[in-house]
Amino acid sequence: MTCNCVDAPVPPLFGVQTLFAAQHTSESCGANGLPLTPNSITILGYAQKLRTLNHPNLVSHLDFIRKQHGRIILVSQYFNRSLWTESKNYSLLIPLEKVLSWTHRILSALSYLNDNGLVHRFLTPQYILLDDEDNVKLFNYGIYYMTNSGKNITFPIGKLKYTAPEVLVLDRASNKSGPKTDSWSLGIIILELLLGAQLWPTLKLSQIIRKILSLTHCTDVVMRLAREMGRLTMYQSLPSELKDFLSKCICMDVTKRMCPKELYDHKIFSLYEYSKILTNKCYSCKHPLRQMKLNQVYYLWKLAGGDVEWALKKKGLLRNESSILLIPRLIILEGTLYGNARNQSCLLDLQIIELSLDLLVNRLQHLKITDYDPLIDQIKDCDDTIDKLPLVIREKDTEYQFHRIVLFDRLLSSYPFKLDKLLIEAKKDIPPYFRGEIWACLLNVCSDTENTYLSIDKETAGVTDRQIEVDIPRCHQYNDLLSSSVAHKKLKRVLKAWLVSHPEYVYWQGLDSLCAPFVYLNFCKEHVAYACLTAFVKKYLNDVFLRDNSAVIREYLIKLFHLIAFHDPQLANHLDDKGFIPDLFAIPWFLTMFSHVFPMHKIFHLWDKLLLGDSSYPLFVGLSILSQLRSTLLNSGFNECILLFSDLPEVDIEKCVLESSKFNDVTPRSITFRKYELRTETREHDPCLIYEVLQKEFSPRISVYDLQELKRSSQKFLVVDAREQGCYIEKCIPGSLNIPIKEEDFEDENFDLAPSPELSALVNNRGSVLIVVDNLHQINKVRKFCRFLVKKEYPKVCSLHGGIEALQTFNILGPAILF
Amino acid sequence: MANRAVPQRPNGQTPGKICQFKLVLLGESSVGKSSLVLRFVKGQFHEYQESTIGAAFLTQTIHLNDVAVKFEIWDTAGQERYHSLAPMYYRGAQAAIVVYDITNQDTFERAKNWVKELQRQATPGIVIALAGNKLDLNTMRSVQTDESQTYAYENGLLFMETSAKTSANVTEIFKAIAEKLPKNETTNTAGQGRRLVESEGANKSLSSCCK
Repeated sequence: MTCNCVDAPVPPLFGVQTLFAAQHTSESCGANGLPLTPNSITILGYAQKLRTLNHPNLVSHLDFIRKQHGRIILVSQYFNRSLWTESKNYSLLIPLEKVLSWTHRILSALSYLNDNGLVHRFLTPQYILLDDEDNVKLFNYGIYYMTNSGKNITFPIGKLKYTAPEVLVLDRASNKSGPKTDSWSLGIIILELLLGAQLWPTLKLSQIIRKILSLTHCTDVVMRLAREMGRLTMYQSLPSELKDFLSKCICMDVTKRMCPKELYDHKIFSLYEYSKILTNKCYSCKHPLRQMKLNQVYYLWKLAGGDVEWALKKKGLLRNESSILLIPRLIILEGTLYGNARNQSCLLDLQIIELSLDLLVNRLQHLKITDYDPLIDQIKDCDDTIDKLPLVIREKDTEYQFHRIVLFDRLLSSYPFKLDKLLIEAKKDIPPYFRGEIWACLLNVCSDTENTYLSIDKETAGVTDRQIEVDIPRCHQYNDLLSSSVAHKKLKRVLKAWLVSHPEYVYWQGLDSLCAPFVYLNFCKEHVAYACLTAFVKKYLNDVFLRDNSAVIREYLIKLFHLIAFHDPQLANHLDDKGFIPDLFAIPWFLTMFSHVFPMHKIFHLWDKLLLGDSSYPLFVGLSILSQLRSTLLNSGFNECILLFSDLPEVDIEKCVLESSKFNDVTPRSITFRKYELRTETREHDPCLIYEVLQKEFSPRISVYDLQELKRSSQKFLVVDAREQGCYIEKCIPGSLNIPIKEEDFEDENFDLAPSPELSALVNNRGSVLIVVDNLHQINKVRKFCRFLVKKEYPKVCSLHGGIEALQTFNILGPAILF
Repeated sequence: MANRAVPQRPNGQTPGKICQFKLVLLGESSVGKSSLVLRFVKGQFHEYQESTIGAAFLTQTIHLNDVAVKFEIWDTAGQERYHSLAPMYYRGAQAAIVVYDITNQDTFERAKNWVKELQRQATPGIVIALAGNKLDLNTMRSVQTDESQTYAYENGLLFMETSAKTSANVTEIFKAIAEKLPKNETTNTAGQGRRLVESEGANKSLSSCCK
């Protein structure tokens, strides 16, 4: 049992290394005419898979950073003890049991890598680390994989004397190393440990190569090596099972050499009781940070100001040369450079730099132990001061994010229990660290999506493949990760999976942009990206991807216009006057839910809120974008307006999000009712209208249910009854205002309401929801009346769907009380 | 750069004649329609130019002798599915550039279809230019210049091979169109009013064009 203590020291937990990707020789193009993807980006794409690996004997990878000139920075878990340091420090031989126990663990890790399609290929005693409890942890096992079997780098992977002979003779471009190359390396490492001596400690590289290749002629390779180490007698005294094990590792004939999985089951491991030896329990006090997930600690460390590059600079691994020194002497027209001196820090140096956590520990030092392990129901609300800070600042605040991460870690692990609490917290903000997972919860993505996804055919060629292939290489390509070849493949697979599983829908350009944020956030969980996309489309874009989607899109667009008329009559009048209809600018808005319009970081903040809203929320986002550009639009003609949208100016997303949620709060639900949105039920009096009807109206309709709702709420509203006074007196909505009007009245362009107590009442109620009512057959009159009111710049004008007749079943009509 | 050949806004010069023309770009997706416009209007080029959804609108003015020719350019989406929107943009256009990719034969076939459609349905007398784009990828060419040249000649089209990347022939093709456009009746300052009427017509047509 270890105790936790906030005062305990925290040793460095992370190590950082840097390497260079191979540069393309000149500015050549790929088959699609686009520039070749830099190798560093390709590496970045492959590397993501390493984040998903999880084994007790592998260090975890935390970050991959791409820098200029093809530099890659790797951050992973690190321990400063290794088999190398151990073998040097031990004056005596390391006990056989200990070596065997390590070996068994290493083999377990190697088998796990093999199962995941990786080989280590870089096994050396330096890269077999030991943690506080003497567990082995393999290090640098990802370099071979992430560089596409070494193809994207210029240096050879592996330390020569541990490298299997076939690696040296086969062409490395065309031959991928298999699992058995690791068996060889492991054999040599164990042999050195068992015999307590170094193999060829003083030989030069060329001599080592000659030595390894000369082993071809020898009958017992292990014995020969033992002799070379000067420990032949010692080797001969080893148990015969162990000798057999070594001969199965260090075996020239690859077909006879065992792979790690076979070695794991070797009988040598059943002969020794080593399970007890291993545990070297650590009983000292531990800082509670060490109980947190390493990725979280690393994330917080960066927020606290941790700077990987600076750590490299301090050790001289990263030097900035003045740019004048980097200019080549000659560039030929094809783009090849000559005469630029090679930057010395570009040379391979896989030195590992430890990252100190002091900065983070200091930053969090006043936290109590309970802050690390709170009870969900007792988590107090953070103080208001931080809640009021802008989102971008909250996202950069170490302590705030610490609390959010601790909280959401709990909420997510108990999902779907505590969903209500999750929703409340997500409304405040969504911590970037957990965005992918939280979005999946908000979209009700359940856990069994993986099998569904696996069972979908994503490979068979389809009719839209060409279109997808030309669209993906230009979809959010400013993003390093999304521009990698791995990302392109993933995006294509997810899109194809969605298309295959939704035969009623087709690929419309823009679906790629829509898919990109999900793929980015769930890079190693394609099935989650797929499930999120599916749920998202169903909720916000139901039927938008039909082969003939014009009805659905047009409904979206006209509803946007109705909403503008409802909230901003002045703008609606202006846009109508100029003929600047949403069809000219808002198609990409709704078709891609703004993902084609904004860069990724803005989409994140926008969708954070969108996902909490219902299927009409996108309309409010559209409205709030327009209201941000309002003053420009009001002063612009048709051409200027449309130019504005062809090159959308900077939109403040946080403001947009706040505005849209305010609009949402003050808009009765039926105002934004869309026939094509997916809903559980449509009630009798819901305004379920076809486009031809919508098109004739300038203002939206409100349902009877919402009228009832308004009565119950504190929102101000006024019913304007346009019938003749006689009908009104007989039966009307209590509290309504009678402005008897004839349809012919509107024929006169200069028509205006005559001064009357009713007009004063109307003027006094400017700003309230104005509901125009008449008999059902007077629909044209109601339309004209609404248009008239909007022209007079009355906000929140709408008409009652179903007319006065709709109210009859509700039993709320009564005789009027006149002024 | 496009700007080099075309002085955009002559300072202090009193504008003589101003002509406004509506021009539409059509063609298969990713042949470089948006890139051509971007090069022409802003002198820029993006390798990873995003796909166009719906359409984009830009304007650019060039000067021919003493006449200022203002292009109002509608850059359309290339995907076949967006076809139903196209008439809204080419209706009332006085000029069109049909673009294909010289490295892709299919895009040339698609361009021919666009030409047919324009000749059948667009404004009579519309000036059509055929642009074989991506000339910078000459080594990967699959549509021969002769073939397109002959086709253009037979159909009375302007023809140029262009490169939005290197800006080869970009300004030239717009200039050639401007020269071919009649500049007598549609002239001068009345253009603004006329154009608005047209745009309203285009808006109304939406209801009929994509049912």
